[in-house]
Parts: sequence; C-alpha cells; structure tokens
Amino acid sequence: MTAVASVQSGVLLDGDSPTDRGDRPNNSHPNDKNRSTVTSKTTDPTPQEMALVRRILAGEKELYYDLIAPYERAVYVSALAIVRNPADAEDCAQDAFLKAFRHLEAFRGESRFGSWLVRIVLNEAKMKLRKLRPGLYESLDETAGEDSDYIPRDLGDWRAIPSESLELKEVRAVLVQAVEDLPEIYREVFVLRDVQGMNVADTAQLLDVSEAVVKTRLLRARLRMRDMVAPVLKNSSALSRQFFKKGKNPWQ
Amino acid sequence: MAMTCREIWREVSNYIDDTISPEIREEMERHLAQCRHCTAIVDGVHNVIVLVADGRTFALPAGFSSRLQERLRREL
Repeated sequence: MTAVASVQSGVLLDGDSPTDRGDRPNNSHPNDKNRSTVTSKTTDPTPQEMALVRRILAGEKELYYDLIAPYERAVYVSALAIVRNPADAEDCAQDAFLKAFRHLEAFRGESRFGSWLVRIVLNEAKMKLRKLRPGLYESLDETAGEDSDYIPRDLGDWRAIPSESLELKEVRAVLVQAVEDLPEIYREVFVLRDVQGMNVADTAQLLDVSEAVVKTRLLRARLRMRDMVAPVLKNSSALSRQFFKKGKNPWQ
Repeated sequence: MAMTCREIWREVSNYIDDTISPEIREEMERHLAQCRHCTAIVDGVHNVIVLVADGRTFALPAGFSSRLQERLRREL
C-alpha cells in the first residue's frame, strides 16, 4: 500500500522511507471525521435538546430516551475508562442516566448536554470503583503517577494496519487492552480526547485539571499506547492471514 | 538550531493535533525527513489515534440499548 493509499484509508504508514513522505498529518486532529456526538456540535445543547428537556420536566418522561440516545456510547465508554469492566461500565452508565433524569432540572443549558452526562457518569464510575476495589483505587492527585519524561521505545517500523482490520476481534481486543493498561490519569484523558473526540478545553473542565495537564497526559498516553500496540499488531498472525494472503506482509 | 529527537517526542501530540506554529512544524518536518525512529513514532501515534476513534473499537455491548430502555421503563 502506498502512503497516499494509506492516508485515504485513514491510517498512515510507519515504515516508508522518510523521503517518500509528503502527506503527514498536518491539517487537524486525525479524527475529525470520527467525532462522537459529545462534541459534534459547536454549540450545545441544541434547541431540540432544550425543548426535549422542557417537555420531560413537564411530565413527558417517555421522551427521556430520545434525549440520551445519542450519548449512550460516550457515557458507556467514559464509565469503561474508569471501571475497566464492561458489565460494571454498563451498570454505571445506567445509574448515571437515571441520576441525570432525577437531576434534569439542574441542567440549565450552560454546558453541552453530552458533557453534563459524561461528568455524571465519571463521578458514578469513580464511586463504584471505590466500592468495588478500594485497595486498587488510584489517587486522583494531579501529579500522582506522572512520568517525569517518557521515552518512546525504538520499535522499528510499524507499517499500516488496514482500517478494515478493526473487523477482527483480535485487533479490537489489543486496542481495548492497551487502553485498560494505561494508568488511570492517562486513561481518562486518552478516552475523553481520543476515543470520544472531546476537545482539550472540555476534557480539562470535566477532569478539573488545567489544559496544560491534559496535553501533557495526552502526549504520554499516546506514546504509551503506541509502544503497547505496535509490537503486538505488527506481529499479528491473524492480520497476516486475513489481509495479506497475497505476497509479502507489508511490514516484512 | 535543529530539533533533537527528544524535542520532537515532546511535540508529537501538538504536531498531530496541529497546535504548533508553522516554524516548529517546518523544523519537525526537516527532522522527520531524516529520522526513521521519530517518523515511526509520529506515524505510530497517528495510527493509534485513528484506530481507537473508530466506533468499532469501543462499541456498545450487544443489547445495551434495550437493557437501558427496559430499566428506564421500570424506574422512571
């Protein structure tokens, strides 16, 4: 696959000759097309959402699911970032949606509705984690567990993974496991920013840290993710069988 | 003065998010054109970001929506 083809598929090549590279990411965050509904709007809440809120508060509670449906994944994934277990994350998400309903009158439209929900679920998930695994709960102190200076590993070339590879459970599992293995302070920033596509300012506000702290943690999370994922995926036999049956593997 | 590898690593996120000045970007491009290790890091991070943002990576568990709606019906 050429560099141009890989860019078109959304995943860049790692192992091209540096001199061949004319199409580095240089315009914007690479996931602009994949933004979650938490941040897909420039101004939140939308008039439709505020209208739904008013009707629900007036008694039409059957409309509540319509209001929250666009944020199901964002709320679930936020919970997963904290509790690291799908069943617990689902419980947290349900609890958070119920809590949000009971406190809906407190939502005054001053923040994005999705951000308001995510803040609620993050609190729910942290409370649940304290109950489930009190000994394992990591400090929320801003500086606890920070790397002083993370040195990325020299892994050699990691050629492109076709975006179609995400159809493989194995590839998804590698990515999910790597996120789970991040220390909590990096994991929550990475999930909000890179999995859900929140901007730095909203991420900082939700986590009650400065934007500078978000950027620092994000950099370290991304470097750690690359160090964890690249060695596994570049040697994946399943990937080789599925996508590179003809001819040589591109990373050989 | 030319940027070192360590300086490049500190800017990887800003480079990918395009939150650096044109001058720093130009410096980085010059370094990346000659440094295979930093090139692998930048593109590896970019790969990771693209892959995790794909909705298939962190999909909702099967039946999530129906279980949520059922609980809402029961408890609202």
